[in-house]
Amino acid sequence: MQTSGTLKWLGLAIGAVVMLALPQLVTSSFAIDIFIRILLFSFIGVAWNLMGGYAKQLSLGHAAYFGLGAYTSTIMQVNYGISPWIGMIAGGVVAMLASLPIGWLCFRLRGPYFTIATIATAQVLMLIFLKFRDFAWGAEGTTIPNLGSAPLMMQFEEKSSYYYVVLGLLAVGLWITHRIEKSWMGYYLVAIGEDEDAAEAVGVNAPKIKRDIYMISAFLTALAGTFYTQYIYFIDPATAFSFNVSIEAALVSIVGGIGTLWGPVIGTVLLETTSALLQSWLGSSVGGIQLTVYSLILMAVILWRPTGLIGFATDVYHRTLRRKPARA
Amino acid sequence: MAEALVIKGLSKRFGGLRAVQDVSFTVQENETVALIGPNGAGKTTSFHLITGFHRPDSGSVLAFGHEVVGLKPHDVCALGMARTFQVAKPFGAMTVLANVMTGAFLRDRHIAAARSKAREAIEFVGLGAREQTPAKDLTTIDQRRLEMARALATQPRILLLDEVMAGLNPAEIDQAVALVKKLSASGLTIVIVEHVMRAIMAVARHIVVLDHGQKIAEGAPKEIVENPEVIRAYLGSYVHPPGDAHA
Repeated sequence: MQTSGTLKWLGLAIGAVVMLALPQLVTSSFAIDIFIRILLFSFIGVAWNLMGGYAKQLSLGHAAYFGLGAYTSTIMQVNYGISPWIGMIAGGVVAMLASLPIGWLCFRLRGPYFTIATIATAQVLMLIFLKFRDFAWGAEGTTIPNLGSAPLMMQFEEKSSYYYVVLGLLAVGLWITHRIEKSWMGYYLVAIGEDEDAAEAVGVNAPKIKRDIYMISAFLTALAGTFYTQYIYFIDPATAFSFNVSIEAALVSIVGGIGTLWGPVIGTVLLETTSALLQSWLGSSVGGIQLTVYSLILMAVILWRPTGLIGFATDVYHRTLRRKPARA
Repeated sequence: MAEALVIKGLSKRFGGLRAVQDVSFTVQENETVALIGPNGAGKTTSFHLITGFHRPDSGSVLAFGHEVVGLKPHDVCALGMARTFQVAKPFGAMTVLANVMTGAFLRDRHIAAARSKAREAIEFVGLGAREQTPAKDLTTIDQRRLEMARALATQPRILLLDEVMAGLNPAEIDQAVALVKKLSASGLTIVIVEHVMRAIMAVARHIVVLDHGQKIAEGAPKEIVENPEVIRAYLGSYVHPPGDAHA
């Protein structure tokens, strides 16, 4: 117990040092861009995983909160000159509040019906932002005014600065997940995911727990939305409420291992690097071939390893080294 | 003795089916009462009504003087009434310990406190050796034990056991009977739904018989097995304990 704890801290420390040093060692802007994407989607996956993974409430509508976060901070910045750092928190709060009525509606449904309802909520929000041109620029969107180097407005000249911002977000997300996982809340979430009736029977207030975790999940997802808009200097409803964001959030977690701390991170590293490598190897030969290969890899993982790569790794570890079942 | 559970005029309809009709009975503190009757008599539905999983159309359920009708299952559990399910519902991906800790968190949300409470309950039902086993890998009887341990960890005063002996072999039934007696000896009030007459005769002080959603008899076990109405509706040729395991 003691040694495995020490090893864990050592691993974490080495990982942190490597992650902090990475943009200094690899200076190619192309590579840093990929790192930022990986960190961003890891973070979104971590936010999704709290609800979708631990409590198995399979949402495919997290783009709603990504978009709300993006729009809140952008509207505050462009129309009122308020710093996106403040806008980011405001976006998180807006997303949290929005999750209450959305959850109130969607949690009446279970299983696939819940999932479909969540898809609809993101689509409805996209339509709203398409229609209301006066406060949110309608379909053509808007660019974020470029202030050059303005750290207080979340604008940096160096790409590596964005890297550190999103690395910080991911660290916060992982820390929150870790704290929840190790507390009563983590047990309650898994219990709800396993069998909601049985959870209720032992005193778990399932609707309240689901509402609370949905709020936390929405808050974190919104932070990602603000960051992304600041990073690409542009916002429109199609990007902010993109269905791809919802899919990616779920996908990286499922591939990596839902309901595990590092699952979304591992899933994102695998999917993003695969897609980037395929793009550079195959992208120029036959158009679209990289997407085909990517999809095949995805299908293989889902078919053979439905518990994700973390589940696969723990299985192998326990079969070869420990011959003991995993702790849930 | 105080009244632990007072059920009055409980009724529930599902469409045209009268699942439970005007059922009343009382359970004294630290008493074990069995609810018996043929399949579809309304036993499990009664459990659902008592524990908040279904809302009765009419009637009242008082647990230690508190009206329970209208409360959610988790509130009923918090009031001190825990149940098991006819088809065991373990949290499959969790270990036995984690399953039972989930129950223990109701009274204390600290990990260490919940863990020690859970261990107590696990020892009590005799699952100590399986503490780290994922719940989905347990045998049938161990899953039933887990259900009981998880319910016990919520520190109930009334325990409702829904067919905890179904699917067990005779030796396992003896173990389960011993466990129920041990629960009762620890001061719990128990309501048990069961088909295994041998087990009922061994544990129950009082029996309530349901048929087609209605109470057709209640009384001491001796009276019940000789009641012609009960023999016609449910027991058939069954006469005296200890007979076959299954009536």
